[in-house]
Amino acid sequence: MTRTRLLMGTAGLSVAIGLWFALTAPPDVLQGEYSRLINIHVPSMWLAFLAFGVTALGSIMWLVRKKERWDRLAAASVEVGVIFTGIGLFTGMVWGQAVWGAPWDWQDPRLMSTAVMFFVYLGYLALRNALDDPVVRARRSAILGAIAVVQVPLVYFSVNLFRTLHQTQSIRPDGSTMPDEMVIAMLINVAAFTVLYVALMVTRLAVSRLEAQARPEGVFAGDAVRPPRLSEVEDV
Amino acid sequence: MGQRQFILLGTVGVIALIGGITIAGLNDNLTYYLYPNEAVERRAEFVDGETFRLAGRVVSGSMSEEGDDMTFDVTDGSATIPVVLINTPPPLFNEEVPVLLEGSWAGDTFIAESALIRHDENYEIPAEGNYPEP
Repeated sequence: MTRTRLLMGTAGLSVAIGLWFALTAPPDVLQGEYSRLINIHVPSMWLAFLAFGVTALGSIMWLVRKKERWDRLAAASVEVGVIFTGIGLFTGMVWGQAVWGAPWDWQDPRLMSTAVMFFVYLGYLALRNALDDPVVRARRSAILGAIAVVQVPLVYFSVNLFRTLHQTQSIRPDGSTMPDEMVIAMLINVAAFTVLYVALMVTRLAVSRLEAQARPEGVFAGDAVRPPRLSEVEDV
Repeated sequence: MGQRQFILLGTVGVIALIGGITIAGLNDNLTYYLYPNEAVERRAEFVDGETFRLAGRVVSGSMSEEGDDMTFDVTDGSATIPVVLINTPPPLFNEEVPVLLEGSWAGDTFIAESALIRHDENYEIPAEGNYPEP
């Protein structure tokens, strides 16, 4: 427990440092103070991509090794990834309302592919909740987790593959279209969110292990109870 | 690999393939928006009143207000189209700003029902004393 507490403390400190950089970096000439939202928006989506990548890794490893811990890793990572996809979508909508003049555009390929990715991974969590047998659940989740990851490059490159309302990447292999102060602030936040991801994952996996201990395989809450039979209640 | 797994993987693979082909096809035919030179080139495809989207930069010095409407020109450098915006422009709407308009042709003029600012990937620190209002 001390390990998770130490990690959570480090993550909290990292995010606080990131926030300080986000609030002290210069604003953009056109967007004004709203440009600071990029310091949450981009790191959130980076974290989501990382999380879904880890899910794919856990899923493939489960299909190969059939060890329960790979299933737990994949599931925990989806939970974290879905939350941060949601944060990415929300901060994007706040920014969009301020800068584009609308929070959402139903025809934008970047927005729509991100929304689809969000719902596919929500579907992954729904799938897990719908299955009782641990092995069946692990297998079906692993197949979905291994396939669904194709959305990550699709979402990332959607702004390059299609015409979009959403802007293209500001940091590219051939240089950056942002002043250094803004790039540094954003990268510090990307690093801080990565620490946060590790802390959340270690904590979630510790909880997953406790859950597995508390509920031995094959035994489910309610198993000891059976519905009353008609013959038993007829004479009441 | 069991038979059921094989069928499941195969089904998902086929769906992914169909999805991919559909997206590729959509991109070709149903373009998200046109630039002014494309809009002029494909004028015959879009009759007056048929909605499409137009993206360009607001020409400096072309903005004027006429009653509730706003008129301005949009350009992509090679073609320029006069626009009448019949709705409220977004707060950051200004000269030289890249915009995305939805509307239709009325002769040589584009009647825009809505306008969005197309912010690009460039970020810039404002000069001292020139900070924009939050």
